[in-house]
Amino acid sequence: MTPKPARNPVAAREARLLDIGQAFVQACEADETDLLLADGRTLLTRFAGNRIHQNVGTEEAVAVIRVLVDGRLGVATADSFEGEALETARASALAIARASEPDPDWPGLPAPRPVTSVDAYDAATGAAPAEARAQFAATVIGAAREKGGEAAGIVEVSEGALAVVSSAGVAVATSHTQAEANALVTCGNGSGWAEAVGMRLADLDAERLGRRATLKADISRDPEPLEPGRYDVILEPPAVGEWLQYLAYVAFSGKDVDEGRSPLAGRLGQAVTGQQVSIWDDALDYRTLPAPFDYEGQPTGRLDLIRDGVAEGVATNHYRARKMGNDASTGHGLPASSSAECLPMHLFMQGGDSSAKHLLAETERGLLITRFHYTNILDPMKTVLTGMTRNGTFLVEDGQIVHAVRNLRYTENVLEALARIDGLSEQMTLVPGPCVVPTVRIREVAFTGTTEF
Amino acid sequence: MEALLERAVGLMEQAGASYGDVRIRRDRTERLAVKNGRPEHIARSESAGLGVRVIVNGAWGFFGTHRIEEAALEDAVRQAVAIARASAAAQTDPVQLAPVDPAHDRYDTPFTKDPLAVPLEDKLDLLVRATKAMTGPNIKLAEAFFSAFITDQDFASTEGARIQQQIVQTGGGIAATAIADGDLQVRSYPNSFRGNFGTGGYELVEAMDLVGEAPRVADEAEALLVAPTCPEGRRTIILDGGQLALQVHESCGHPIELDRVLGMEIAYAGDSFLTLDKLGTYTYGSEQVNIVADATCAGGLGTFGYDDEGVPAQSTPIVEAGRFVGYLTSRETAPAVNRPSSGSMRASGWNRIPLIRMTNVNLLPGNAGTLDDLIADTDDGLLLVTNRSWSIDNKRLNFQFGTEMCREITNGRLGQVYRDATYTGITPQFWGSCDAICGPEAWRLWGTPNCGKGQPGQTARVGHGVAPARFRNVQVGVTS
Repeated sequence: MTPKPARNPVAAREARLLDIGQAFVQACEADETDLLLADGRTLLTRFAGNRIHQNVGTEEAVAVIRVLVDGRLGVATADSFEGEALETARASALAIARASEPDPDWPGLPAPRPVTSVDAYDAATGAAPAEARAQFAATVIGAAREKGGEAAGIVEVSEGALAVVSSAGVAVATSHTQAEANALVTCGNGSGWAEAVGMRLADLDAERLGRRATLKADISRDPEPLEPGRYDVILEPPAVGEWLQYLAYVAFSGKDVDEGRSPLAGRLGQAVTGQQVSIWDDALDYRTLPAPFDYEGQPTGRLDLIRDGVAEGVATNHYRARKMGNDASTGHGLPASSSAECLPMHLFMQGGDSSAKHLLAETERGLLITRFHYTNILDPMKTVLTGMTRNGTFLVEDGQIVHAVRNLRYTENVLEALARIDGLSEQMTLVPGPCVVPTVRIREVAFTGTTEF
Repeated sequence: MEALLERAVGLMEQAGASYGDVRIRRDRTERLAVKNGRPEHIARSESAGLGVRVIVNGAWGFFGTHRIEEAALEDAVRQAVAIARASAAAQTDPVQLAPVDPAHDRYDTPFTKDPLAVPLEDKLDLLVRATKAMTGPNIKLAEAFFSAFITDQDFASTEGARIQQQIVQTGGGIAATAIADGDLQVRSYPNSFRGNFGTGGYELVEAMDLVGEAPRVADEAEALLVAPTCPEGRRTIILDGGQLALQVHESCGHPIELDRVLGMEIAYAGDSFLTLDKLGTYTYGSEQVNIVADATCAGGLGTFGYDDEGVPAQSTPIVEAGRFVGYLTSRETAPAVNRPSSGSMRASGWNRIPLIRMTNVNLLPGNAGTLDDLIADTDDGLLLVTNRSWSIDNKRLNFQFGTEMCREITNGRLGQVYRDATYTGITPQFWGSCDAICGPEAWRLWGTPNCGKGQPGQTARVGHGVAPARFRNVQVGVTS
């Protein structure tokens, strides 16, 4: 990708990062070198008890240096692009490489490949002042107060630039903004949740967020106990997104598949869940937070992970792709400082032809679940997860919400549960992750415990 | 550095801050991972910057920058003040801080061997030998880990505190993964998720005898692959130290954080069942249960000299003979319980504000002797060993843990090995069922290096001293 001309501050910053990277790579005495440079600002306002209690901003830079010396790999990280910091990191990476052992599987750094440019930077979001975040919080708080509730949550904006330069000829840069907000409103012993994420702060609707969380809090007062057991569930997008991210973590890494510790190891091409399930990753789709390349500077694009219930693919970086017999990575390389190597980071789950309202209306008896809490992995090979429901769990009978119920613990094999999906909304919603997911209804999800609220 | 600190204090005062502090901090980290006899991942990182925290118009503002220079400092103070003024627009009561005597002091973690100065070749050699000693027909992954963290920090406040600290934290461990027929079992030592950690130097890793323990770890992973699943039922259980440390962490350490209790974390990881009305009166556990939060115990991963508000490290009673008596607090939250700060505020870096974090939340030893003594004293039960998974609700009541290994106990003797063991319960009922805790001879410190909290996210390294303990009538073996 040709760098944009330096006609505005965003393009100028990208050009600066590329200049720093190219000068560094040219000067480095290693056999191979690549350099990841990122800098940006994050500003986050937290509110709780109807007041702002934490309000922070940072400007940060990170440089990840990867060098190869006689087939030996060294990685070091710095938090400044100034000469001394980069020099220290380079010396450190070289020392590590010299102390390491040659990797017989090292394929060389990836060659440059064409990258599709994306417009992922909103100048207004990047420049949003503290007052804009305070006003957003005040609007959410105002909605909660109307029902006598208390609001907590965040509003966060971030902006940054990312560049990758390597001795193999990679030289790419991009810029991005992100805005995220959520609201947890409590009304007495009821609580409700709403969240939103996007590239532009202007696309996040504080009033809507506050009202939705408040409505849920208001109708979830005095939750009644419910016995553990199997229940049909309607999972709203935050809950679907959480399951999808955990599934990706245990199943969709090429490294884990290659090492035999993914449930998809040896099962590519086989049906692993129901036909109604299609999951993919696509960082070029503007329904998510777009990104043109991964942390190795390789192009992103659509990668089918599960199509119609069949395991189709897994995410790789360059090293893992070559080790698994593929020519090129899928564009899912993580920074070299991460031992995880590769993961899908822009997940999608295909919707259906229903709606959230219709799914509820046609449910005879089941649970409407807003979100999950503290999900964790019990058995990665069987994709068994456990976690709690939170902030709005309701009993549904004859298509109507009857009352709120106390939170429940699920313990469930996710791939098996997804096979029992019998309804998906057409609408797909972007939730933090980022994931773009529908509302789904699943038959007979296992709930193994309850709590006291 | 001193001039920069003084300049920061002056700027904060000029800007009208009723309180302000600045931390200039440098973190150096090294992580080594060896897999199947060869280095898989070796990485060093260094991060340095400054963070400015102010109270203006009764509200907080914070700004951090990686640029340690006067112009950046001036900008950071300006930004922090502007943020505080914006906060004040949605503020009800002005922030009030519990008093603390401003300290002029320096604290350094005692250690024998600087973990970053030990030659890389020596550290890798140890890890390579440990992985080569983990073999078996189904051992597909033999891994060994080392990590070290050195933090140097200068702290100054508008109240006059000037504190320098160097904290050195080191750890490591091994793990054998047996894989066959689509099944996977992991066995770790001395703890799961990259081992055990403490404050101190490389001597902590040398003392682990990773190479000597490696064959046993591999054998146990192999045994788990063919072991039956832990049967479901209500059982007497004994938790080993590693698992019990995480039980303390999740079901005691987090719910005693006063910021959680006051709702400050409710929208993220949740609040707490230990509400203010319970302080001093609530029965948290059985009379066997005594818990302190002790930032002073030698070698604990949560041991330091001063917290990131300049409050000296201290030991705070949390549970006395089963009764709930204390919280982890900060200068802002302590007035809610009419007590001084417990000195628990720590930030994960220059770029984050301090939050209430666990120090070393320790379950004090009982009088049940060694683990062997406790097993011998148990007619019918299960020994659950080394954490594998964890989950707890957002008030810290309903929990479910999984362990790497489980052993049947019959008439005081260990028997059948079980795999995929889980146990679940409600926090005060569970601690109320504790009828025996091993003695000082079985008590040791465990480090939890990955405690997440806050937004933006922060990872803290905290400690837990425990001796194995026994619990009655616990639900075991829940699967989907």
